[in-house]
Amino acid sequence: MKAAMADRQADLAGLVRAHQAGVWRYLRFLGCRPDEADDLAQETFLAVIRDGFEQRSAAETASYLRAVARNRLLMARRKQRSSPPLVDLEAAEAVWARVAGADGLGDYLVALEECLQAAVNPRVRRALELQYRQRLGRAEIAAELEMAAEGVKTLLRRARSALRDCVERKLGR
Amino acid sequence: MSQPNDELRARLRERLLEQALGEVLGGETPPDLSDKILAAAERLETVSTQRKEPVMEKSRRSRRFWAFSAAAACLVCAVGVAVFQQTRSAREDRQVARQSAAEMRRSPKLRGPSSMRSEEAEPGAAAAPWAEPPAVGLDRDPRGELAATADSSADGRALTLGERYSRAEQARQTFGNFPGQPTLRGAETSTPGAAPTGRGPGMGGDRYDRLVETPFRAVKDNPLSTFSIDVDTASYANVRRFLLQEGRLPPPDAVRIEELINYFDYDYSGPTDDVPFAAHIEVAGCPWQPEHRLVRIGLKGREIENQQRPRSNLVFLLDVSGSMDSPDKLPLLKQGMKMLAEQLGENDCVAIVVYASAEGLVLPSTSGQQRQKIIDALERLQAGGSTNGGAGIELAYRIAQDNFIQGGVNRVLLCTDGDFNVGTTSTGSLERIVEEKAKSGIFLSVLGFGRGNLNDAMMETISNKGNGNYAYIDGVTEAQKVLVEQIGGTLVTIAKDVKIQIEFNPAQVAAYRLIGYENRMLAAEDFNDDKKDAGEIGAGHTVTALYETVPAGGKVDLPAVDPLKYQAQAAPGGNQAASNELLTLKLRYKEPEEDSSKLLEFPLVDGKAPFGRASADFQFASAVASFGMLLRGSEHKGSGSYQAVLEIAESAKGADKHGYRAEFVEIVRRAEALAE
Repeated sequence: MKAAMADRQADLAGLVRAHQAGVWRYLRFLGCRPDEADDLAQETFLAVIRDGFEQRSAAETASYLRAVARNRLLMARRKQRSSPPLVDLEAAEAVWARVAGADGLGDYLVALEECLQAAVNPRVRRALELQYRQRLGRAEIAAELEMAAEGVKTLLRRARSALRDCVERKLGR
Repeated sequence: MSQPNDELRARLRERLLEQALGEVLGGETPPDLSDKILAAAERLETVSTQRKEPVMEKSRRSRRFWAFSAAAACLVCAVGVAVFQQTRSAREDRQVARQSAAEMRRSPKLRGPSSMRSEEAEPGAAAAPWAEPPAVGLDRDPRGELAATADSSADGRALTLGERYSRAEQARQTFGNFPGQPTLRGAETSTPGAAPTGRGPGMGGDRYDRLVETPFRAVKDNPLSTFSIDVDTASYANVRRFLLQEGRLPPPDAVRIEELINYFDYDYSGPTDDVPFAAHIEVAGCPWQPEHRLVRIGLKGREIENQQRPRSNLVFLLDVSGSMDSPDKLPLLKQGMKMLAEQLGENDCVAIVVYASAEGLVLPSTSGQQRQKIIDALERLQAGGSTNGGAGIELAYRIAQDNFIQGGVNRVLLCTDGDFNVGTTSTGSLERIVEEKAKSGIFLSVLGFGRGNLNDAMMETISNKGNGNYAYIDGVTEAQKVLVEQIGGTLVTIAKDVKIQIEFNPAQVAAYRLIGYENRMLAAEDFNDDKKDAGEIGAGHTVTALYETVPAGGKVDLPAVDPLKYQAQAAPGGNQAASNELLTLKLRYKEPEEDSSKLLEFPLVDGKAPFGRASADFQFASAVASFGMLLRGSEHKGSGSYQAVLEIAESAKGADKHGYRAEFVEIVRRAEALAE
C-alpha cells in the first residue's frame, strides 16, 4: 500500500516536472497574464491528478494537458469581465501542436538559442537584446545603434523572420 | 486552406517566436510550480485514503457531499451554496466544513486560486478539487472575494451559511462586480463586520486592495482633514517593476500616490530642537489645474548616523518556501540581507528564523560583529521542500522577546513574496499578533519580493499594524536604498502614531482634496484619540503630502447639501477667520516608547507664488503626483499629461545624488510609450 502510494507520488512528480513549463508557456501563448498562467497551470495539474491519469506518450500527455488548460482558461474567463484578449484558441492549438511540439517549447528554445548565434549578425543580435532584454522602444534602440527608427523596425522584422525560418527548419516543423 | 487562415497562422507563429525571444533574451521563464502542485496533490491523496473507497468510487452521493463541504468551506460561489443549501441542513454543513478543516489543518502549503479567502476557506482548498463540477471550487469569483471579506460577524462568531449568503448578496449589491479589484480599504470601511481582513494566506496572484480616490470637499461642510502619515515606498518600486521589467502599465490599484511621492528624498531640513521631526509647508500654483493652489506639507525626521543608532535586536524572518525559488526572490533576499548585515556592528544582534523548513531557527541571536557567521547562515538558505506549517512568526517574536533590549530597537524583519503561510494562523489573527507585539515594543517591517503572487494588500496591512514599514525590493538598487542608505529609517522609529490634521480657513479656501493617502484617512475625532493607531516615521525619513485647494470664490462643482432645518447657520467665525491664514497644520505624535501624544501647530499664509517660483522639491513632488493620477486614470488629473510631467521632473531634478529622479524620468517615458 505504502509502496503503491510512493510510486504514485513519483509518477505525479514526474508528470509535473516534465510538463509544467510547457503548460505555463501554452497558457501565456493563449493570452494569459503571468500570474493567471501560474494559477491556471496549477489548476490544470490538480484537475488531471484528481481525475486520475495514466502515463501515455509524452505527446499524448502534453496534448491532454493542453486541452484541460484550455478548458480551465475558458471557465476562468467566463467569470471575468475585463481580461486581456485571448488568441483564436483553435488556430493557436494547431500552431502550438505543430511548432512547439510535445516538449512544451523546450526544443524550440534550444533551437532559437542556436539560431541567435548562427542566423543573425552581432548588430542584429544587439538590436534584439535591446528590445527583449532591455525592453527599449524603437526610438531608443535607434539611438543606441545610431540608425533611423524606421530602419530599426525593418531590421527587427527581418531578424524575426530569419529566426523563425531558422528555428522551424532546424526542428523540421 | 483559405487566405485568412494562413495569415492567422503566420501571426501565431510570429507570436510564438516573440514569446520564445522573451524567454531566451528577456528571462520570462516559467515558474517552478512543482512544490505547490505536489503539496496540493498530496492533500488530495491524504483525503482519499482517509475517506477510503467511497471517494475513489466517486459515487454520486459522495460527490455531492464533497461538493457541498467544499462550497461551504470555500465560500467561493454564493450561488452554489444556495443551490446546495436546499439539499442539506445548515447544521450538517457546518459540521462537514469543520471536519474537513480539522483534517486539513496540518497539511502543507497550497497556493490555491485567489478566490479562497478566509480562515475556513484555506483548509477547504483541499476539499475543493473534489467538487462537482470542479470549476465551482476553484475558479475566481470577484463576488465571492467580496463575500469572503465579510466572513465573520462583529462578535467573532462564525456565520451560518444563510448569513454568509445574504452577506455575499449584500456585498454584490453594494459594490457591484470589480473583476480583480475585490475589497475596499480597511481605513475607509467602518462597519466592523465588513472590515477586510486582508487575504488569507496561501492565495495566488498579485493582490491589491481597491483604492477610491478622495473627492474634493467643501470647507464650509468639512473644515477638517485628518490622516495618518505613510512612509512606505513599496508602491513606487512595484510600479517601476511593471513599467521597466514587465513592460506594461500597472493596475490602477497598485498605484498609491503618496508612496510614489514619498519614494524620493526631499531636501527638508531636520528639526533643530528636541522634537523628532520638522514640518515644512509650501503653497504655489497647481500645474494641472491653473486656478487651483497646491499645498505641500513636508515632514523630516531627525537623522541618526549609522554609528549612532541605538542598540538593536533584529530578527530576520525569511520565507524560504518553494515559491521563493526564483532569481528575483530568494537570491535577491539573501543579497539584500547580506548588505544589511554589512552595516551592523557590536551594538546589534541578529537572529534568523525561516519558515517553510523543518528547523525554524537558522541562527540564534548573534552579535553584528560576527558578520561572517551571519553571512554564512544566509548563504546556506535554500528554497523549497514542503512547508512544515508555521510557527515561524511566533518563533521570530519569541526570539525577539528573549533578546529584548530596553530602550533599543526591537524589530522583526519579514521578507516574503506574501505567498504567506503561517500555519493555522489566518491573516486576521496574524494582524492581532503583530499589533499586540507592537504594543510590547517589538515592531515589524516587511520587505516584499518577486512577482506573481505578491500579496501587496496583506503586507501593507500587517506592516501598518506592526508599527513598521513596507518596502518592495525589485532589485539590488532598491535593496541598497532601503537596507543601506536608509538603514536608520528602516530600523529606527523616532515617532509613532503620527497624525496630521488640517483646519482650512473658509475665508481663504472654498474646497480641498488630499492627493493619495486614500487608505490613511482618519475621522476628525481620531486625531485627539491616542488609542487610534497611525503611521510611524523613521530616522531621516521624509514624508510629503499634497493638497489641491480651490481658493475662496473659485468654482466648486460639488453636490450641495440641503439647508439644515434645525441647526443654526454656522458662519465663519472666531477671531482668526478674518486673518489671511490659509490653514493651520496640526501634528500629533508619540515618542516610540510613550503612550500619550504631543501636539505641534503651524499656521500657513499663502504668499501667492506661481508654480514656476515654487521650490524644486515642490515642483518635483507635484510632477510625481500628476504621474500617479495619470496612471490611476484619475478624474482629477486636469490638464496633466506625461509630457508635462516629464518637463517638470526634468527641470526639477536638482542634485539627485542617487539618480532616483533621473530614473523617474525614464519611468515616465516608458509609461508614455505604453499608454500610446
